[in-house]
Amino acid sequence: MMSDSHSDGTQPDMKQWVLEPETEYRFELDPDTSLAIKLAHGQAEVFGAELAEGKTYLFGTECRAAVFTWQGCTLEITGRPSTEYVSEETPMAAYANVHIAFEQMRVRALRVVHGSPASDDDANANAEPPRVLVLGPENSGKTTVCKILTNYTVRAGQNWSPVLVNVDPSEGGWAVPGAISAAPIRSPIATASPANPLGSAATSAPTALSSNALIPLSYWYGHSETKRNPVLLDRLIRNLGENIRQRDDDDPEARVSGLIVDTPSSFASSSGSAPDNRHTLIKACVDAFRINVILVVGHEKLTVEMQRLFGNRFTVVKIPKSGGVVELDHGYRERVHKYQLHTYMYGQKIDPPPGITSAIVGGEAVADLVLSPSSCVIKFGDLTIYRIGAENMAPSSALPIGAARMLSEMQPVLVDPASSSSGLLNSILALLAPFNPDESERYDEEILDLTVVGFLVVTSIDAPNRKMTILAPNQGSLVGKTALVGSFDWQE
Amino acid sequence: MYSQPHMYGQVAYAAPPSYHQPGPSAYSYQQPPPPPAPVYFVDPNSFRRDYAARLAELTINSRPIIQTLSMIAQEYSKWAEIVAQCLEAHIRRVPPWIKLPGFYLLDAISKNVYDPYTRHFTPFVIGLFLETYQQVDQATRSKMEEMLLTWRTASPTGKELFGVIPQLAIERGIWGGDSNPTGATSGQISRAQVLSELEFTLSQKERALQSNAWDTTAQRHVQILQQLRKLVEAGVSQDELRQILTQLRSLSQAPQPAAAAPPTTTTSYQYQAQPAYPRQTTQSAFSPPVSQHSSSTTYTSYALPSINQPKSEPVDSASLLSSVKSTAVPSTDIAGLYSALLKAGIVAGTGTPVGAGATATSEDTITSSSENMSRDAARAYRQSVLSQNIRLTNADITRKRPNIDRLLYDRLPAQCKQCGVRFSDDTLGKKEMEDHLDMHFRQNRKANQSLGRGHSRSWFVDLDDWVHEGRVDVKGKGRADGPRPTTNKAALAVDAARRDAELRTQFVVVPSGDEAKSLSCPICKETLKTEFLEDDEEWVWKNAVRKDDKIYHATCYAEAMGSMHTLASRLRQDTTSRSRSGTPDASRATPQKGNSSVRSSQSRSPDSKRATLKRKASVDDCSQSSVKMESNGTPPMKKMALAP
Repeated sequence: MMSDSHSDGTQPDMKQWVLEPETEYRFELDPDTSLAIKLAHGQAEVFGAELAEGKTYLFGTECRAAVFTWQGCTLEITGRPSTEYVSEETPMAAYANVHIAFEQMRVRALRVVHGSPASDDDANANAEPPRVLVLGPENSGKTTVCKILTNYTVRAGQNWSPVLVNVDPSEGGWAVPGAISAAPIRSPIATASPANPLGSAATSAPTALSSNALIPLSYWYGHSETKRNPVLLDRLIRNLGENIRQRDDDDPEARVSGLIVDTPSSFASSSGSAPDNRHTLIKACVDAFRINVILVVGHEKLTVEMQRLFGNRFTVVKIPKSGGVVELDHGYRERVHKYQLHTYMYGQKIDPPPGITSAIVGGEAVADLVLSPSSCVIKFGDLTIYRIGAENMAPSSALPIGAARMLSEMQPVLVDPASSSSGLLNSILALLAPFNPDESERYDEEILDLTVVGFLVVTSIDAPNRKMTILAPNQGSLVGKTALVGSFDWQE
Repeated sequence: MYSQPHMYGQVAYAAPPSYHQPGPSAYSYQQPPPPPAPVYFVDPNSFRRDYAARLAELTINSRPIIQTLSMIAQEYSKWAEIVAQCLEAHIRRVPPWIKLPGFYLLDAISKNVYDPYTRHFTPFVIGLFLETYQQVDQATRSKMEEMLLTWRTASPTGKELFGVIPQLAIERGIWGGDSNPTGATSGQISRAQVLSELEFTLSQKERALQSNAWDTTAQRHVQILQQLRKLVEAGVSQDELRQILTQLRSLSQAPQPAAAAPPTTTTSYQYQAQPAYPRQTTQSAFSPPVSQHSSSTTYTSYALPSINQPKSEPVDSASLLSSVKSTAVPSTDIAGLYSALLKAGIVAGTGTPVGAGATATSEDTITSSSENMSRDAARAYRQSVLSQNIRLTNADITRKRPNIDRLLYDRLPAQCKQCGVRFSDDTLGKKEMEDHLDMHFRQNRKANQSLGRGHSRSWFVDLDDWVHEGRVDVKGKGRADGPRPTTNKAALAVDAARRDAELRTQFVVVPSGDEAKSLSCPICKETLKTEFLEDDEEWVWKNAVRKDDKIYHATCYAEAMGSMHTLASRLRQDTTSRSRSGTPDASRATPQKGNSSVRSSQSRSPDSKRATLKRKASVDDCSQSSVKMESNGTPPMKKMALAP
């Protein structure tokens, strides 16, 4: 199955792997190492995105991924992963079946839009496109399931453009950790690094794949833990859903592609947060995104729980978890957060392993992925910074039942950069879209409903001169002049 | 909304078709441009030097610059040869994305002054045009095609501007084969050619319509042309292309009166006398604008058809000429063409084609032909998907064998070698793959052009744009793979980066003797960098522009002008009172952290792509005047890419 190619004498680290049909090559990388994979023969895909034969793909920044093949293939792999093996047990067949079931929903929905007559198949079948909520405990591979299902959808050749939604604030999606967002996907999402698991947001560089120039709609929650401020998260989820609904109304044909929602593991964990809370947030998602299918990844108890809650309204299905999913420790997650912000600002740079001269990262030429952020000094008055919710807030579960604390949880608190306790230094800020220019349309909590324009980092504070240095992704002006701070820090 | 507007306070030189603009709007064009600085040249060398220097400023499509340069050319027509040499050298030297303004100048001089310039341009115009056409991007190409089409009738006598031979040679060069559909030896006619000619005729008609909204004939012509365009875009056969082309030509030529008849503003579509500033042979000031009629009569006296023919004609000129003559023979109008298409069954005639209502219905039938194809494909796909017996139940999902190979691989046998995306091998799939490959091609070219220029993450789009983004799409077209930035804000970001790079290529020649003098930009107060230009053998200030006898950084000046209209400037007005005071020591605040290695922006190492592009700061960066970018000079900065 595996053979060293030392005899070639050309690439010392290159190994050839021959994969049988429906098996996958799994690998894990250490920090500061990279891996180059070339499909020599056959057909192969990484989390649903097909590889082009003969192209060398780079993986880096502690990437843990798998190359799967339906029909068998030969891979040429250069580099030294910390772990690598071929697995014959994958849940891909089940995922493919789920995809086909979703495709059936899409084509039926499209037929209704086109007004074509129902044919021989069950005419009374539901004609709604799949709007899928993916739930699962930690390390169950939820994000990977979402990615595979999305990639299969855009690969159908039907011009589908499903909306991929990430409501896991610890993940970041196309933005940075702390945000929840949604983006329509039109081309397969390549995998190269955990820094951008769902594709990349648009840059000024030209891209080969539109999944590396995504246009996300993003809201700032500001914390990785959903229990930190569930009331706020609930509101942001509903905002996201409302806007997706408007978009669907605007373009009924795009609507039939459906949507797929990736969720935080806290939605599934029975320990820690009170079930009320997570049920509230799951219900918020179900309502906001008009969910009609729940997929539970490898968690029987949760499946039963969801069936009890929603089984009379729509389908709840358990799908198997991949054996390739790696337990991710806290340190790893912290590092991934750093990679994500670094990638947001500076783009992605993966140095190829020795012996590899030309390669692509996530489908793009390496040079196009390097970005130049802009560092600038601003006066304190140039940016108004708020924190949402009172600072030393007790968790809402500690409040007496029925006690209303809406006000303090949703209260924008002005942050004074001059104060030594502001905590702004090294903080990640979410720059918001401008307030409604029409004064009469303004309302008290408008700031909670403003979308994110981009992210900034406070890199130094000069209190005596009332100035601070911020790192911004580009040289554009600080639209709206209002930013929110959360609990994320970043230092280069 | 988040990107700066890209006007830079400059007025763009109107694209060529506006020469044909009849009606009132044409008059605004006749504003005499501000007279060039009153410099008098006694010797050709200093004239050459000055003209080359002014040309060097022509890096954006700016009407004032083009007009000024064109007026100087007119004034110094005795040195036409020098102007021609400078212009040719300029267009050849500048990078592809700033060649078009040079061509616009050539176009303006040829149409305004005509003699003796066309004589001097003719020897190189074919080569230069074709060479440039090869190097530029698609958008510029279509601009050039538009310009080329205006040349067909742009001489004072209504004939080819540079003569029939160069005209045909260029047309052949870009559209391939014999560009004349009635020629006996016609080769393939490309869809691109038909489309650009369609576009050209359509814009003529639309302008006619603008000047006279109640002209029902024009209305109808516009409608039909628009339908034709859809047809051609959807794909028609060679024969039909040929037919369309023939009729189009006759259409745009038929109503044209004999050469040099003064056109009337309201109804004519054809070439109008180039909105010229009055011809003055003296070197004195310019006289006030004159009416279009008088300017066109001025031209008649300048008609010198003989110079249309270069002395040495290519061997095949006779056949070229004869084929040209035969073009004008059919005089069918466009309605005839449409009915011919109707008869041919290409267009399904529905209803009585009267007014806008009828257009809607016939448009539907036209689009439906291409839409039918995709619906058929959708139907076939639906059947193959629904034939798979899988339900969303735990049992079905885990126990059945998916037939996924067929859906994702076998059904889509054609694969893009660059990104692995697959297509079906039917007509629709082939077309989609073609579009997809085009997209890669454009993207690669853009990437090559922007190498080393530095990119950055764009701001996310405005909520409204996100919600309505789907509507931008033409149904069934390129949704799968189109790089979306072309239709949204991200595209503006790309544009901004390109413009920025263009600005940086601007320079001002250092007056001799001043080489050692240090000069700083009045906006950012930083010293302008000097550099020796090998080609011109001159010292220049890089990224510089001269305005009102002051020299600014081109980027600073553009920002300053651009920001007059931005939100930032409005905000600035609130804050001006407390700005400025503390800025000078701002750069001191730069922290230096981590493993950031400072990289010189001048570095030309292969690795320099990793270094960020040097950015010239201006007071408008980062929103307000009180915001001061860290300058790229002395203070260490951390705007460089790091290895992850």
